[in-house]
Amino acid sequence: MSDSEFGIAAEKAPDVVDPALIREAKRGTRVDVAQTGFNPALGRLPTIETQTVSLNTVLAFVPSWTARRIPIKCIGLTLPEGIEFLPPKVDTTKSSDGVELKRIGPPRKNFDEAGDGEKPRKITRIKPPSDALSLQDRLFYLLQPPLESWLAEQELIMPFEPFGYQYEGIAWLFSSHSALLADEMGLGKTMQTITAIRLLLRSGQARRIVLICPKPLIPNWQREFKTWAEELPVVTVEGNGQRRRMLWTMPGIPILIANYESMARDIAEIPEDEQPKFDLLVLDEAQRIKNRDSRTAEAARSIRRRRSWALTGTPIENRPEELAALFEFMEVIPKAANPDLRQLSKLAKKYILRRTKDLVMKDMPPRIDRDAELELTDAQELAYRTAEKEGIIQLNDMGDTITVQHVFELVLRLKQITNFDPLTGESAKLERLMADMEEIGASGGKAILFSQWTKTIDWLAPKLKEFNPLIYHGGVPTKKREPILAKFKEDPDAHILLMSYGTGAVGLNLQFAGYVFLFDRWWNPAIEDQAINRAHRIGVKNPVIVTRFISKNTIEERIDRVLREKRELFAAILGDGANDNVSLGLNATEIFGLFDLKARHKGGSKSIGPKPVEQTTDAA
Amino acid sequence: MSGAGKTEHLRLGFMETMEVDGRGHIGGLLITNQNGRPLEFQCTTPVKPNRTQEILFGESLRAWLLGELIGSTLLDRVSIKPNMIITSDPNLLELRNHTSIPVACAADAKSKLPEQGGTLRLGGSILRFHGGYELDAQTLSKQKHLISDSADLAEPLERVREALAETVKTVFAR
Repeated sequence: MSDSEFGIAAEKAPDVVDPALIREAKRGTRVDVAQTGFNPALGRLPTIETQTVSLNTVLAFVPSWTARRIPIKCIGLTLPEGIEFLPPKVDTTKSSDGVELKRIGPPRKNFDEAGDGEKPRKITRIKPPSDALSLQDRLFYLLQPPLESWLAEQELIMPFEPFGYQYEGIAWLFSSHSALLADEMGLGKTMQTITAIRLLLRSGQARRIVLICPKPLIPNWQREFKTWAEELPVVTVEGNGQRRRMLWTMPGIPILIANYESMARDIAEIPEDEQPKFDLLVLDEAQRIKNRDSRTAEAARSIRRRRSWALTGTPIENRPEELAALFEFMEVIPKAANPDLRQLSKLAKKYILRRTKDLVMKDMPPRIDRDAELELTDAQELAYRTAEKEGIIQLNDMGDTITVQHVFELVLRLKQITNFDPLTGESAKLERLMADMEEIGASGGKAILFSQWTKTIDWLAPKLKEFNPLIYHGGVPTKKREPILAKFKEDPDAHILLMSYGTGAVGLNLQFAGYVFLFDRWWNPAIEDQAINRAHRIGVKNPVIVTRFISKNTIEERIDRVLREKRELFAAILGDGANDNVSLGLNATEIFGLFDLKARHKGGSKSIGPKPVEQTTDAA
Repeated sequence: MSGAGKTEHLRLGFMETMEVDGRGHIGGLLITNQNGRPLEFQCTTPVKPNRTQEILFGESLRAWLLGELIGSTLLDRVSIKPNMIITSDPNLLELRNHTSIPVACAADAKSKLPEQGGTLRLGGSILRFHGGYELDAQTLSKQKHLISDSADLAEPLERVREALAETVKTVFAR
């Protein structure tokens, strides 16, 4: 009992406590015990006294609680301001190049909401890259809207809505600092790259971007930028040296396009303290830097940049080392490092995104390959056997001085005879071509023909006059090339386009052509596939029929056999993404083997390879 | 988003909370423009009420903790103040008693909420505002045109939840 309660009892005692009760209480406390030691004290009656206590006394314990705000710490992230561009016109339905445009909608949330039985649309979220370690970096990517709604909200008007795998590719590129987009030709690497670039600029992740591509592809990139991101200002590095240098170093240009030659030349000439710095460097047809020691590769690596993307449909054309060259550019391996196949495979999983048509375009019209195995005409046969016999005798006579280049020259001579006999002009391939073209022309179809030699193309053109052939090869000035492609597309009487592998194999969209002829075989099926995919690509409405001319019992048949046997060698590196595009070129031993000759030097397995595509095709 | 004028902007705040095992609750606030593009994000460290607070607040504990305590802190901290705050948790509506910014709970478009006082259809969602501030819906309906009819206002809340989960995984789970 508390003191206060005692106090209350004591204060009231005089009025309420009966003295008789007190006496009784005293009596009740009496204890009978032995009278020893302290015990006598226990026998005494207790003394009960009362005293008065004031109610104003401060109480010793009062439970109290005041609502106080708990201090809370916060983690914050401010996202960078993106570059604002003028929005495209709302009523735009056609791009400047006449492509039919379509506005895409945001993803539908669920089936019921659609209400029309439409399936729910997939949502593509941007994932933080595995090498983003800081929380802020990871949150930046997680907080971005799903790609579908991001693109829709910005009124991105597109010729067609991206496919699911393209959304994934865009999201992957957007969040990658080092990336090799190695989709098979025709799957839309250009569109995915342009859209990812657009999003980087919009989200403030990049302000200055440079894209390097082969010179013939510059008009193609300009056109694609116009189609896919009309509002983005694109400047091409061209003109005299002074102007080019100004363009390289001028700040405030969001997207710069340059060709490889310009890059290699101009960057070396800019003083160290004036070297431009980019947020992103994109290499298109990145196999151009497959030789790590080349001037081009060194120039690409020397450009200061925060992100490095490489685009190619053929990450490996001949040797695994080519992939290492790309990884070095992407700064994912140390300088001059030589990763083994296992390491390359591991890096490929992390830094390469490769999809094939087989995997993603199941509903795309098929590509129908047919090998036209032709007997040489009598005149060709005679010329061929004579040249082969004389050539082999010459090679044998050379003894130890023979080199692969000597053999290679013989191969080229024989291949040319399989195209047509230089003396009589007889050609089994031309006969077959004419027969096919009559059918194609009659049905209003269009065909593309590829040859290794501009000389063959020029020889073919007058013979195909009735089909209004158009010529597109290295000898055609760059400015005249675009009108040729436009004429081929628009002129219903132009039934055939004659192209060289070097100039026409990459980057062009010719999906309206239903037929492809490979008049002679390129050294590497990867290049052939690039050529074929000019026609067999996204947007194609009908099957594409590919005819490969192979002269029976000739060097063409032997080369084809050797290459076919080697196609699968790199599947281990690229995994599911590998397909027939990946193959080896011929090495020295194999070149000698074509004529049952033995390599005469120590480096029997050294790859001689053909000369670079452009040089070979145009040199002949 | 159609009709978005150059100078007319709508800043949307998306607020969510999450319970962290044994450590209390954390909250996140994402500010976006009317197109859903992120501008700023703030999240709190975990907050756990003590026993006294649990007893004294009783049933109003969650509204106090999430709405007043976590919500107000987040709102104080963001440098870009939103025109409205959207959440999926009705407890966070309590925040409206401590701010002049309208706070609404996003209901799914298929939910059968009547479109009358206190609710507003915005994008693909129906928003339910705090019962004591029914004029909020009316005020915001003037800026309705800035939001596309097909916009999904529940989607950014998923982003906030993902960001909170990432924060818990990266920072608080250590």
